[in-house]
Amino acid sequence: MQAALPPPVPGSAAVSAALTETNVRVNSDFRGDQIVLYGAVFDPAQRPSDVVVIVRGPDQPVRIARKSRVAGLWINSRPVVFQGAPGFYIAASTRPLDDIAHFAVLRRLEAGVDHLAMHAPAELRTETRYGVRDVVVSSLGADYLDWRNAVVRLKTAEHLYDVDEHGVRFVDRGLFRAEIPLPAEAPIGQYQVRILLFQGGQPVAEKDRTLTVEKVGVERGLYLWAHRRPWSYGLAAMAFALAAGWAASSAFRRD
Amino acid sequence: MDLYLPIAEVSVNAPLLVALGALVGFISGLFGIGGGFLMTPVLVFLGIPPAVAVASMSNHVAASSMSSVLSYGRKRAVDFRMGGVLAAGGAVGSVAGVELFRWLRLLGQADLVVALSYLIFLGIIGGLMFWESVGAILRRRRNAPAPPHRDRRPPWLYGLPLKLRFPRSRLYISVIPPILLGAFVGVLSAIMGVGGGFILVPAMIYILRMPANVVVGTSLFQIIITTALTGVLQAGRNQTVDILLAALLLVGGVLGAQLGARASSRFRAEELRALLALIVLLVGLRMGLGLFFTPHEPFVLMSGNG
Repeated sequence: MQAALPPPVPGSAAVSAALTETNVRVNSDFRGDQIVLYGAVFDPAQRPSDVVVIVRGPDQPVRIARKSRVAGLWINSRPVVFQGAPGFYIAASTRPLDDIAHFAVLRRLEAGVDHLAMHAPAELRTETRYGVRDVVVSSLGADYLDWRNAVVRLKTAEHLYDVDEHGVRFVDRGLFRAEIPLPAEAPIGQYQVRILLFQGGQPVAEKDRTLTVEKVGVERGLYLWAHRRPWSYGLAAMAFALAAGWAASSAFRRD
Repeated sequence: MDLYLPIAEVSVNAPLLVALGALVGFISGLFGIGGGFLMTPVLVFLGIPPAVAVASMSNHVAASSMSSVLSYGRKRAVDFRMGGVLAAGGAVGSVAGVELFRWLRLLGQADLVVALSYLIFLGIIGGLMFWESVGAILRRRRNAPAPPHRDRRPPWLYGLPLKLRFPRSRLYISVIPPILLGAFVGVLSAIMGVGGGFILVPAMIYILRMPANVVVGTSLFQIIITTALTGVLQAGRNQTVDILLAALLLVGGVLGAQLGARASSRFRAEELRALLALIVLLVGLRMGLGLFFTPHEPFVLMSGNG
């Protein structure tokens, strides 16, 4: 029995979790999916625990532009590329992240959309400031945060980024459940699911799971054909289109 | 019934797309235009990535034009020689257009150029056509005689070298104007995701002075060749042709085009032109006026990596 063990030392708490589905199959009737995650917190001392579940899709560089008014017209600026942005990101937790841990901890774990380590390397340059050489500055200048926030805002509007402050619920003592909504626009690839256990503002245990989103069946066949042999795909698609037009015309001729 | 598109990577409502394809196909058959200028904006509005919408439209436009051109061909209303000359220019134009579009996307200015092209070309063509056709309708109502036909053909057009006989159009003109016209329409086809009928038809009537009965069929014939080339180029260069999207649109599109081609004989030509002019004007204004309003979201995500 647990009671027979010596008194717990910090760090002895553990977390365990499993996804009800580890393979999301994207076929012709795919309309998004709801991934359910169950997990348990093992802590003999039963200290107050918080659980954060972070689902992160494959990285996709983001190109973003800002509109500005030129001679009465709203025109895009030169696009800025942000590297390190995930194609999909959800942080679900038992409480608001800021209540669970401090800024520095969240930043280190990349927990929450504000803490994602994305940056625009092409906009960076080094210069000498206040006599210090090689200071890295961004040519986006003071607007840098506006740009970064815009990436998060636009991705959130597409349901690709989300922060769910009450997305993890304890359903029984030590047993928790989380639901991750996956939109139809979610990128294809390997997703990392990280389950973090927080106690007293510090992460004390973690578990990693993976989730695969892959195209199957006809969808996969067409996608691979279009990308591996684009010219034969293009010719076949056009031949099919012309044949369909010809068939319809002959069908209508005999009536 | 929703369907996930493998290249566009979005889920769409299949019956809605079939219905849209049929509606645009009907308009296409009625006026002898590809209908791309209507369909591309609607697809983008439905959430299809613009690059995929523009490229897949080529397949759809080629299919519905194929279905109507055969009906026109049986009525001997296609000038194949003129269509071939136009298409030769169109081939050069569409190759240049696909490359130009890649370059514009790299600069992030593709949206601007597309919106401005819609506003300028649809605005001018729609305005001119509307003015001319309303004038014709009013004259007929008042039983006024048609204005004296200016038979003096512009010398700059007919004085050019490389003359060729076009028996079906009863023309003997230089091939240079049709080739330039075809090339211009080819560029627009790649940039705007259109066949270019809305420019070709008026240009053939007012500049080349072709007889009205062969204009529509010939324009469709040229559009098939240009869009077939654009579609294959877009698939090969940009991998943006979604065959499932094109198939959904053309199921409705080919049927609609048949009905449209039949219905066209029941209307007077000037009434048809007035209606088309209104549609063209509305789409151009809808696409282009957005540039003048303050956007509620100043930032915009660009698809693809250039």
